[in-house]
Amino acid sequence: MSAVGIIANPASGKDIRRLVAQASVFDNNEKVNIIRRTLRALDALGVRRVLIMPDTAGLGLRALDGLRLSLDARIIEMPVYGDARDSTRAARIMAEAGVACIVTVGGDGTNRAAARGAGDVPLIPVSTGTNNVFPVMVEGTVAGLAAGVIAAGLVPADAVTYRTKRLELYVDGELIDVALVDIATSRDLFVGSRALWDPGRLREAVLAQARPGTVGLAAVGGCLTTLSPRNTHGLYLRLGAGGRQVLAPIAPGLVVPVGILEHRLLEAGEEVHLDPGNCTVALDGEREVEVGLQQTVAVRLTTAGPRVVDIEAALAEATRRGAFDLAWEAPDGPSGGC
Amino acid sequence: MAEISRDTLLWIYERMRLIRCFEDKVAELFAQGLLPGFVHLYAGEEAIAVGVCAHLTDRDYITSTHRGHGHCIAKGVDINAMMAELFGKATGACKGKGGSMHIADVSKGMLGANGIVGGGGPLACGSGLTAKVTGSDSVTACFFGDGAAEQGTMHEAMNLAAIWKLPVIFVCENNLYAESTPWFYHCAARDIADRGVAYNMPGILVDGTDVFAVYEAAGEAIARARRGEGPTLIEARAFRYYGHFQGDPLTYRTPEEEEEYRRRDPLDQFRRRVLERNLLTADELDAIDARAREAVEAAVRFAQASPYPAPEECLTDVYVKYP
Repeated sequence: MSAVGIIANPASGKDIRRLVAQASVFDNNEKVNIIRRTLRALDALGVRRVLIMPDTAGLGLRALDGLRLSLDARIIEMPVYGDARDSTRAARIMAEAGVACIVTVGGDGTNRAAARGAGDVPLIPVSTGTNNVFPVMVEGTVAGLAAGVIAAGLVPADAVTYRTKRLELYVDGELIDVALVDIATSRDLFVGSRALWDPGRLREAVLAQARPGTVGLAAVGGCLTTLSPRNTHGLYLRLGAGGRQVLAPIAPGLVVPVGILEHRLLEAGEEVHLDPGNCTVALDGEREVEVGLQQTVAVRLTTAGPRVVDIEAALAEATRRGAFDLAWEAPDGPSGGC
Repeated sequence: MAEISRDTLLWIYERMRLIRCFEDKVAELFAQGLLPGFVHLYAGEEAIAVGVCAHLTDRDYITSTHRGHGHCIAKGVDINAMMAELFGKATGACKGKGGSMHIADVSKGMLGANGIVGGGGPLACGSGLTAKVTGSDSVTACFFGDGAAEQGTMHEAMNLAAIWKLPVIFVCENNLYAESTPWFYHCAARDIADRGVAYNMPGILVDGTDVFAVYEAAGEAIARARRGEGPTLIEARAFRYYGHFQGDPLTYRTPEEEEEYRRRDPLDQFRRRVLERNLLTADELDAIDARAREAVEAAVRFAQASPYPAPEECLTDVYVKYP
C-alpha cells in the first residue's frame, strides 16, 4: 500500500480572465471541498497515508479540519512562498517519499510546476477552471478513487498511465522552463497580468496538443489538426493577419477569428527557433518570461513530459479486477429467474 | 496588454520613486519627533497606487485609507501641501488640521485619506453614483486594505456598487497583515478576490509588487467601469516595509518573509525590467531618483518654513455653514 500526494494551488482560477473573458470562478472553498472528496475516496479504498502540500490559503489544513478519516493525512513540512516553487518542491518531496501518484488540483500552470518535481510519479490532474487543457474536469471523488486503486495496488500503474509531451523553452541557449501544452510569443513587453486573450498580440506558437473541444491555443491548433497528449507530434503556428483565418475559443467566452500565416507538424525532438525581438513568452497560456531584443528563443518538443493517469481506464481496469466488488451473499430460499 | 508609452513608463517610475522617498523621509522625521500624530507608511506598496492611478485623470476619484500618502502622490496631490499637513502647518492640504490620515484634495479627485478602516467604500459609492446620475464618465478607485475587507462597510459598498452597476473599482491592497493579524487568519475565504463572485462582480488576484500587472488589470477594470458595465474587485498582494504604524515593533512577521518581498521590490523590479528591455536608460532613472529626493527635501523645507494655523482658525472648515 503506497501513499498518495495532493497538491492544490490556491492561486489558480482567479486571474484576469474573469475580467476580460468569462472564465469560471473557482474559489478556495471549492478547492477545499475537492481535497475532502478526494480524501474520502482514498479512505474508502483503504489508502493509509496521504501527503498534502502546504499553501498560503491553508487549503489542506482546512480540508482536514473536522474530517474523520482512518487514513493518516499530513501536511508536509516545507517553506511556503505562495508561488509555483511550492508545487515543484512539494512534488519533489512527495516523489522522494515514494507516493504512488499525485493528485493535482489547479490549472495548466499548477501541473507544469508539479511536473518539474514529480519525476516519474504519475499525476492525476484535476482542473479548477474552464481554460485548462492538461488537467481534466473530473469530480474529486472520482480522482480520489483513481488514485486509490493505484496506491492500493488494485491496478498496476503502468497499465493505466501514459507519458505526455513536454515543450522546453531555451533563451540564449539555456533551458529556462518547460510547458505541457503550448509555448507562444506575444508582442506584450511585460508579463503583466499573465493571461493571453488577444490573438492579435500573438506572434508564434508551438503546441504539444491541438484539440477541438479545448479552449486556448490548443483549440486554435485544433482547427487545423488533432494532436492528443499521447500523439508524439507537435504543431508550429505563425500567427497574424493576411493568411488563413480560423474561428477559435481563445479564452472562455471569447470565440474570435485567429489569423494563421503558417503551420507545420513537428517531430519529437525537433527544435524550433522563434523570431527574436522584444516579446514575452507564454507557457501554457500564461506570460511568464520577458525576452529582450538581443536574446534568442527556441522551443524543443520532447516526449519527456509527466506521466498521467487515465482516470477512466484506471477505474475500468479496477472494476474488471473486481476492486469494487464487496462480499456477496446469495439470498435465502430458492433463487428466482428473471 | 495595451502598449505603455515611454511617457507613461517615466511617469510610473517618477511617482513610485516620489512615494518611496516621501515615506522614507517621513519615517526619519517621525523618529526625530518632528511630526505630530500618527503616520502609516506605504513603502513597498507603490506599484498598486501608481498602477491604478496611471489610468485616472483629475476628473476621476479615489478614496483612500489610513495609509494614504501613496494614493495622494499617485493621484497628483502636491507633496509640499502633503508634507505641510503632516507638520500641522497652515499651508497643508487640509490647512494643517487633518494630519496624515485626512489628506484630501478634491481638485485632484482625491476624496481623502480615512482614519476609519473601511470608511472609503461608502464614499466611493457616493462618487460613483454621482458619476452615474450626472452621466459623466468618471471612475472611482476605492483603495482599502485586507483588514478593511472584513468590515461591514466594505461588504455593503461592494453589494451596493454591484446592484447599481456603479463605475467603481475596488482595489484591496492586501499587505498580508491587518495591523498585526495575518490575512489568512482573519479571512475565511482565504482570498479576498474570491468574494467578487458573491458580489456579482469580477474578482481577480494580481501581484501588487509588479506595477505592470496592476496597470494591466486596473486598465481593464477601469475601462469596463467607464463602459457602464459595473464594478470590479481587484486583490493586489504586496508587503509594507514599515510597521502598521511608525513605532510598531513588527514582532508578528519574520525576517525571511520581509527578505522575500524585498527581493520583489516594486521599484527595483521596474528598473531592472525596463533597463533589460532598453525602454529607458539608467541616466533617465537616476535623474528621476535625484529629482524625487530633492522634491521631498524641498517639501520638508516648505513645511518647516510654513506657519501654524492661527488659533482662531480652529473651527474654520470643520462644520458646514448653512445659509
